Amino acid sequence: MIKTGKSTSIKNFLFKLCACVILLLTIDFAGGKMLKKFYFMQESGYDYLTTYSIERATPDILILGSSRAVNIFNTGIVETQTGLSCYNAGRYGEPVFYHYAVLQAALKRYTPKMVILSFDAGNFNKGLEAYDRIAVLLPYYENHPEIRPIIALKSRYENIKLLSKIYPYNSLLLPIITGNSRYSKTKYITQKGFIPIGKIFSGALQTYDYTKETSLDSTKIDIYRSFIKDCVAAHVQLHIVCPPYMIHAIGTDPSITEAKKIAAQYHVEFLDYSNDTAYTAHPLLFADYRHLNSTGVEVFTRSVIAKIHN
Amino acid sequence: MIFTSIPFFLFFISFAFLYYIFPLRFRWVWILASSLFFYMYGNPYSIIIIASIIFVTWFCALRMEKGPSEKVTPYFLFAIIINIALLVFFKYANFFTSTVFDLTNIVNTQVFHAGAPYSNPFILNVIAPLGLSYVTFQAIGYLIEIKRGNHKAEGNIGYLSTFLLFFPKIIAGPVERAHHILPQLKQYKPFNYDNISKGLKLIIWGLFKKLVIADRLSIYVDAVLDNAGHHSGTSISIAVIFYVFQMYADFSGYTDMALGISKVLGFDLLQNFNRPLLAKSITEFWRKWHISLSTWFADYFYTPIAISKRDWGIWSVVYAFFITFITLGFWHGANWTFVVFGALQGFILTIEFFTRKARKNMRKKIPPLLNNIIGTIFTVGYFALSLIFFRASSVKDSLIIIRRIFTIKGPVYIENPTIILFSLLGIFFLALIELKREYFDTLFNISTNRHWFIRNCYYCFLLLAILIAGVFDGGEFIYFQF
Repeated sequence: MIKTGKSTSIKNFLFKLCACVILLLTIDFAGGKMLKKFYFMQESGYDYLTTYSIERATPDILILGSSRAVNIFNTGIVETQTGLSCYNAGRYGEPVFYHYAVLQAALKRYTPKMVILSFDAGNFNKGLEAYDRIAVLLPYYENHPEIRPIIALKSRYENIKLLSKIYPYNSLLLPIITGNSRYSKTKYITQKGFIPIGKIFSGALQTYDYTKETSLDSTKIDIYRSFIKDCVAAHVQLHIVCPPYMIHAIGTDPSITEAKKIAAQYHVEFLDYSNDTAYTAHPLLFADYRHLNSTGVEVFTRSVIAKIHN
Repeated sequence: MIFTSIPFFLFFISFAFLYYIFPLRFRWVWILASSLFFYMYGNPYSIIIIASIIFVTWFCALRMEKGPSEKVTPYFLFAIIINIALLVFFKYANFFTSTVFDLTNIVNTQVFHAGAPYSNPFILNVIAPLGLSYVTFQAIGYLIEIKRGNHKAEGNIGYLSTFLLFFPKIIAGPVERAHHILPQLKQYKPFNYDNISKGLKLIIWGLFKKLVIADRLSIYVDAVLDNAGHHSGTSISIAVIFYVFQMYADFSGYTDMALGISKVLGFDLLQNFNRPLLAKSITEFWRKWHISLSTWFADYFYTPIAISKRDWGIWSVVYAFFITFITLGFWHGANWTFVVFGALQGFILTIEFFTRKARKNMRKKIPPLLNNIIGTIFTVGYFALSLIFFRASSVKDSLIIIRRIFTIKGPVYIENPTIILFSLLGIFFLALIELKREYFDTLFNISTNRHWFIRNCYYCFLLLAILIAGVFDGGEFIYFQF
């Protein structure tokens, strides 16, 4: 063996390493506290709506789902037709994990009379994007132990990452700034969570072939099943609705088929409008192929509530 | 186990701790055992292929040195053929059969697949072991150097295995040389504060580049280039430029981490990048980009080809350029897109070779700053264009993307302003650091400031930025697939 390197102080290294770690922990703690303060200070924007849904909303009717819930279920019409208070707690792009987390937080706080879950085609399809989207729940990890098992699904080592106080606010700097600005208050105006779309569908009718082999994600299915079970256990009237698509569908979406089967096991109503010609034959009711426009929303919400009442 | 994952950090911390406890003489054994664990973590069976390469390389190298002189060439050829055959079989067999099948259409689908979709029945269900290209190239380099008499064959198969399997570099390089690593394995390496400090800082810088810059850029790049048919030429152009920075931040970030990890253990790996995006020509670019691979090709491919064809005069250089860069492109993967990528490099290098005097004269008439700016913009632009082929799944897709850049007008795609803002900030910060190191290296020293507190505040800032703006659900390093 050739001796080359000079001996150095392990003590010196350990001392400086400890100093760095302490410095980092201090910055992380202080930065995390500051981000938390500003995050929960927001008075508008999507994150504010999530905070409201998870921490404050106590409507009689709670609507959950993705953008197809946010843009399609008109809370005003629901309230008028039922005489009950209603809040649309949907969030753009969010899958079943988010809906279940909001439900968990709501059930811990109070018991809604009715929950309407908006279901989308392909909700159970395999894909990591749905797990990435759990990230929007990270700021609530600390104060909401009831949603921690859902956050744990994001990745195997999420609990370790969450030892950092800043990490829950990862990528949220800009939304926090805008959420605390005046601009945001004028941009994100909702009607109790409902955001109407004014435009009219323009474009060619797309064909979707659902007969192709699709693998379903058992975790997503399990969460959906838990969603139903928890509603049933809490004696909450649950209605699952799949709003219409402006598409020409070949076959049936496997996720919808599976979701209907599970709902039937628990005697929960599943209203499937996904391929309902009463809508699909009328492009004027749609804003795009996934979302109804204001006119379509009015027709659809009235129809759904009437059916639920009956 | 990727460098940005929590399992890797747990592995590395425990490995490094035990490394310094291990008796000095046997530390290489610990490195070898850990490298084997690292390599076999995902797929334990692929080690069989790598072990075969190591054994054949070790055995033939020894026989070349110790056996009779007339046996040198047969042993050398045997070892080279085994190395290349395994690489070709695992990485290129399906490509070759598919190409032959598509060109000749020799298989009658009605015979092989009555009623079934048109498919190639000769496609093999094989997956290339991770890092196969890197191990093979390092083994071939080792054999060539022994054949040339530049260094002695390693008698201890343990040392040779540790060189080829050394975990910081096994998956995506740098493409190391035996004469650079083997002596380091035999050196006395006591605990060295400077090495550990430098290594940890390199790891943090690499992590920053990967998580904050590369993976952030990849969100926009993937969203646009994976659905290019739905995006305007402006959005595609932005995505293509972003991809250059993504590729650089990803690969150089990985390399920095590999160098940092090695440095913590007291090893120096070859530098792989030298601010390539500030190169003023493609010729200069290839001296600064993936240096360990391009020098490998220069030593063992380009130079022998150019020498063997020296009767052709300057055309030997052109020939060597094309053959080398097409092979280098093809090394990246079994797809015609990589061949086109390589050919584009060969083409522009040829142009630059023939115009070198004219360009030199022209440069004298242009102010240096303007000359640098024009050169850099051209280099990055051309590289970005060629990367379209590098990234696309087929040549046809690449051509569609290029056509859309020039023909389809429309708004810029911005789904999430945070992504665009962080992407631009990441590029700005990277450019700032690179420009500072290139032109103002002695000024504004923060990372190398003489005050310990300022230096460490800088690295705390990087860690903070990783926590605030890093993408933790990003994919693996781009070069892992090669």
